[in-house]
Parts: sequence; C-alpha cells; structure tokens
Amino acid sequence: MKRAAIVAVVALLALWGWLSAFAWFDPIRLCRIHLDVELLEGDRAPIRQAIGLVRREDPLAYHALCRWVDRIQEERQCDAGDPQADSRLGGQSILAANDPVLLRAREAPGCYVRGSRVIVLKRAPGGTGGPGLVRERTEALKRLAGYAQEFWLERR
Amino acid sequence: MAAAIVLLAIGRSFVWIDPGARCVIGLRPSLVGYDNGTVKRALATLKAGSPEDYRKVCTHVAWINPNPSCGGFGGGCFWHHEGQRGRATIDVSTEHGLIWTVAIIVHETCHAVQYHEGRPPAFSLEHECYGEDDRILRALVRFE
Repeated sequence: MKRAAIVAVVALLALWGWLSAFAWFDPIRLCRIHLDVELLEGDRAPIRQAIGLVRREDPLAYHALCRWVDRIQEERQCDAGDPQADSRLGGQSILAANDPVLLRAREAPGCYVRGSRVIVLKRAPGGTGGPGLVRERTEALKRLAGYAQEFWLERR
Repeated sequence: MAAAIVLLAIGRSFVWIDPGARCVIGLRPSLVGYDNGTVKRALATLKAGSPEDYRKVCTHVAWINPNPSCGGFGGGCFWHHEGQRGRATIDVSTEHGLIWTVAIIVHETCHAVQYHEGRPPAFSLEHECYGEDDRILRALVRFE
C-alpha cells in the first residue's frame, strides 16, 4: 500500500514536470500552452511572467489565451509580407523603401497567425529582458489572444 | 498491440491525413532540420486560414521534404524534372518558424502549379511566386 502510494506520487511529479517543463501549465484552469523558444538564445521565464500578469490583470484575456492559443513561439520578428515581392525595387529589399506595414510588423512585440492557435513573440534583441519586456509582452498577449478568439469564433 | 501503437505513432509523423478534404501528403524524414511538427501546423493553419491555398497544396503536392539548405538556407525549393508530373514534391525549410513555413509552402506550391500548367522555369515565374507568399503573409499575419 505504502509502496503504491510512493509510486503514485513519483508518477504524479514526473507528469507535472513533463507538462510544465516546456510550457505554461495551470492545472486549476485546465490551461497548458507550449512555449517554443530558441535552444541557445531563448528564455521561457519572461514569457511565463507575462502570462502570469495576464492571468492577474485580465481574466477574460487569460481565458481567451487558454481557450484559443496552444503555443507561443519566440521568433526573430513578425513578417507581414515578403520583402522580395516588389519588382519595382529591382531586387532591393522593400524595407529600403520603408514599406510601413512590414516595418511596423517587424517592430511589433508579437503577432497572431490567422488560422492557427499560435502566437509569435518577437525575441528580445541581444537577450535583453527586464520588466519593460514583460510589460510589453503582457499587453501583446492580451491583444493577440483576442485576435485568436475573434478568428475562431467567426468561423463557427 | 504495443508494437502497432508505436508504429502508428511513428507513421503519423510522416504523413498529413485530412479525410474530410481527401488530402494526403507525405512528409519525408530528414536528418537535418527535421521538424515535421511545424510543417503539420503550417498545413493546419492554411486549412483554417486560407482554404483556397490549402486546396491548391492538396491538389498539386504529394510530398513535402523538410530541407533547411534550400533557397539559401531558410527558404524552399522546387525541382523541375519529369518526376514532378502528377502531384509534386516540394522542399521546405522550417528554420524560421510557422509564419515562414506557411509562406514557403504557398511559394513552392505556386511553382508546382506553374510546372503542371506546362510553364518553363524563369525569373518571371519566380516573381509570381514571391507575390503569392507575400499575399499569404499579408492575409494571415495580424500584429496590430
């Protein structure tokens, strides 16, 4: 009996570790969001802090995040167009011509990919973090979770 | 029974099956840049976000080969040869994440469509496909 209890506790701990090692895991709200970061440059801690702030500050946004997003990926930037697409620039990057959409997307803290349950967060330049980054990501997550919710509810 | 479950689990990594759309696409194994999860997420994103593009992929592509070295590392490739008649094989890098994987699949599918329409490879055709991936990026990525 005692042995079975020990095995059960170890199994529970292993399951907990498995579920939370690479993800945001909130068993009380049945919420698990995979956090996908670069092996060497990435850091899950600021993303976890930002999600924690969303949970504290905006329960509706947190509910939307848990319901409609299953993965948060850290990427170099968000690309809302292909800079190679404009022939008028003769092979030059369209960024040189200051396409405002592409520039704004690249500067944005994150984006939502319509049709997915994925939010992309821009990687902190040079690994810089701090409270400013967490605050920026918190606001981005609130907004982008809303976009994901809007997309999937519109499809119903 | 256990062996069957293991085989099924392994097999699922190498194929995209969507019975509702009658769509089956093989995902080739690759020792480098192997990430069929991103390819599957990209196909699922296209299915929900741009059904017309998804139908084109299902119609013109039979195999997706995850290949990080294509298109100057981080891009994609479409090889013009007789073996591409019928449904084609496209090479796709997943190095730059979901957004670019979606864009590259649409770009290389555009080349498959061109090939199936009998058009020869040329720069102007490349330009058409840059226009296609630009279109899908602008349609799907929402940042503000």
